[in-house]
Amino acid sequence: MKKQNVRTLSLILCMFSYLLVGAAVFDALESETESARKRFLEQKRNDMKRKYRFTEDDYREIERVVLQAEPHRAGRQWKFAGSFYFAITVITTIGYGHAAPGTDAGKVFCMFYAVLGIPLTLVMFQSLGERMNTFVRYLLSRVKRCLGLHRTEISMENMVLVGFLSCLGTLCVGAAAFSHFEGWTFFHAYYYCFITLTTIGFGDFVALQKKEDLQEKTPYVVFSFMYILVGLTVIGAFLNLVVLRFLTMNSEDEKRDAQERASLKRGRNLTAMNSGRGNHCHSNLFLPIEEGTSCTNLILSPGEERKLYSPLPLHANQCRFRSQLSLLCTCICYHLGLCNSPTPSQNKCPECNINSVYYNSVSYRIQGSSSTRINTVLSSPGSTVSPGLSFRELPGARRKSL
Amino acid sequence: MKRQNIRTLVLIICTFTYLLVGAAVFDALESKMEITQKKVLDDRKRELMDKYNLSKVNFDELERVVLQLKPHKAGVQWRFAGSFYFAITVITTIGYGHAAPSTDGGKVFCMFYALLGIPLTLVMFQSLGERINTFVKYLLHRLKKCLGLRHTEVSMANMVCIGLISCMSTLCVGAAAFSRYEDWSFFHAYYYCFITLTTIGFGDYVALQKDNALQTNPQYVAFSFMYILTGLTVIGAFLNLVVLRFMTMNAEDERRDAEQRTLLSRSRKTGGGGGTMSDPPSSSGAAHGSGKGLCNVYAEVLHFQSMCSCLWYKSQEKMRYSIPMIISHDLSTSDTYMEHSEISDALHSNGCVCSALQEHSGTSSVYTGLLSPAHYQRLSKRRSSI
Repeated sequence: MKKQNVRTLSLILCMFSYLLVGAAVFDALESETESARKRFLEQKRNDMKRKYRFTEDDYREIERVVLQAEPHRAGRQWKFAGSFYFAITVITTIGYGHAAPGTDAGKVFCMFYAVLGIPLTLVMFQSLGERMNTFVRYLLSRVKRCLGLHRTEISMENMVLVGFLSCLGTLCVGAAAFSHFEGWTFFHAYYYCFITLTTIGFGDFVALQKKEDLQEKTPYVVFSFMYILVGLTVIGAFLNLVVLRFLTMNSEDEKRDAQERASLKRGRNLTAMNSGRGNHCHSNLFLPIEEGTSCTNLILSPGEERKLYSPLPLHANQCRFRSQLSLLCTCICYHLGLCNSPTPSQNKCPECNINSVYYNSVSYRIQGSSSTRINTVLSSPGSTVSPGLSFRELPGARRKSL
Repeated sequence: MKRQNIRTLVLIICTFTYLLVGAAVFDALESKMEITQKKVLDDRKRELMDKYNLSKVNFDELERVVLQLKPHKAGVQWRFAGSFYFAITVITTIGYGHAAPSTDGGKVFCMFYALLGIPLTLVMFQSLGERINTFVKYLLHRLKKCLGLRHTEVSMANMVCIGLISCMSTLCVGAAAFSRYEDWSFFHAYYYCFITLTTIGFGDYVALQKDNALQTNPQYVAFSFMYILTGLTVIGAFLNLVVLRFMTMNAEDERRDAEQRTLLSRSRKTGGGGGTMSDPPSSSGAAHGSGKGLCNVYAEVLHFQSMCSCLWYKSQEKMRYSIPMIISHDLSTSDTYMEHSEISDALHSNGCVCSALQEHSGTSSVYTGLLSPAHYQRLSKRRSSI
């Protein structure tokens, strides 16, 4: 089965097992406490009902009033500061629920607001996170150089470590601040920061809900908003570093498969044509596609070039040239992950056939890592290629054969 | 300034402006209703307090009890079905808050659970979403072939259209189902589905909270879970189609810049190797030295890369028969995409020019004149130097 399908199926299975395990553990941890608390509260409620002699209807009324008044306990929620807070919880998808639009118009606007705001925020955080990672990488390399270390390249492990430490640091700073301002324990404040910055946002702990904080304590309000946004950036940077590559894995495999299919097709054309030609100078040079690295590019050999000079109609020359170039380009395109649709034979020129055949192949790999190296694997006519042969190892004479 | 920095700054400014505008609109929409509702509730509260002769302290205590009983009113929340529901809200980051761990042990486990579960879920939804997109693309392609259409390629517009329609129908199906089972209006059920599938999850509307449904109605419970997970997949597929590419833009630009820098430093090291590249007709002789040849290859690579970026941008504009022509000159300022206005004279332009010789009349943002056959010969001569 294709790699992408296997990967997807295993991920689905993993997730379901993870959910089952989680459910079992939460059940074990919380069920008993829940039933005990429920018993206690119901007892208390019955006591109070008896004490004040509420009728059933009145009690239900009291309940309704209390529940509806709950958001109002925390002060004005929809004045500008509160609305800004709400807007943050919408577009970052935190969604505490401490305030939720009561009017239908508010609900409608909320939906449209989210449709545009959430992608914008996602892209913004990833963009800013990537910039931060680059900057940190630069700083780290300067630090390494200053310290006079032997090797100043920054490895992935360095970056992951720094990222992890910054996340922890952010959570601790927030926990300290909120436990001071909100009167929570450090652990509860840490839990609040964690639930907020992972955008889960239960709403069991919500900042800025002590009486009229939103309207009166402006510096604290500004700090809270900045903390949420900066914290999300730090988490976003860490996700950008570690998780983002996995999100594009399937599409890259798909692209690679399409490339392979295209090359195989070309190879078949190649062998078919080769059998009819006596030109052994430019024998079949179809490179096997190395997993994930190389691709075959077909560049004109001198013999073929002569054809270009021959008095063929201009259009045919153009056609041939175009087809070769477009094949070259589409190949490079996939390779660099630039193009989308994996249909290589896009030569729509009516007069040509796609016989960009028997050229010396150049395949290369451009590594997108922090230290970009360009490996070129060259082949000369008639030879097989060992992929991974670095360019420098080949003698200068080889160059001419290209 | 570097492109990535500009892009990032613009995005930050956009987001802040968006927040300000949103805050203003929400204020305008909700403030008045909030004030009136508060007044009504305060009056009612005072009435009840007078009727039963409750002091403020008493009422506060009553209030506390009622609020704490709120999650229990909805039924048992932590038996297996409820825990499963909770686990879903954690790893998908929906986070209703209808039930939240009250024990400290529960809180700690919740944090570790989220730490591993959220990336796993993100990757899973994107993976599955990509598979779905590929499958849909394949189906559409077959459909187009069956219908005997001339062009059977599936364009991005097709895919986006289909994606939008599936999102809308997912929301509508959920709205219909939940409005029936939870006794909400269709609009409120739609709002609930939307808030859930965007993972905002306010918690003002939560499914499975009526009549102890979690424990007594297993089919409805299973339906709700499957709906949430499938709906998130559909939304995830749409995001994978439309948004994911923008999240990797900065990194790709950074990569390209790094390659250019490496190339430049190498060409400078081999001492004037750049000279050969800037003069195509003479390059055939000069390219045979190994060091310069090396440069040339790298230069060619970069040019092809630029050309390909060109091609890619071209394909984004949906030009069907874009055919690349390389006119590569100066490496140092190789732009990957030349705007129409910049191309006055293609031969003297810097960097890579991606021109399109349109075979069909249509819009073209990049156009250079037809190149003469002599120019082709010059170019092909260059080929041999590789």
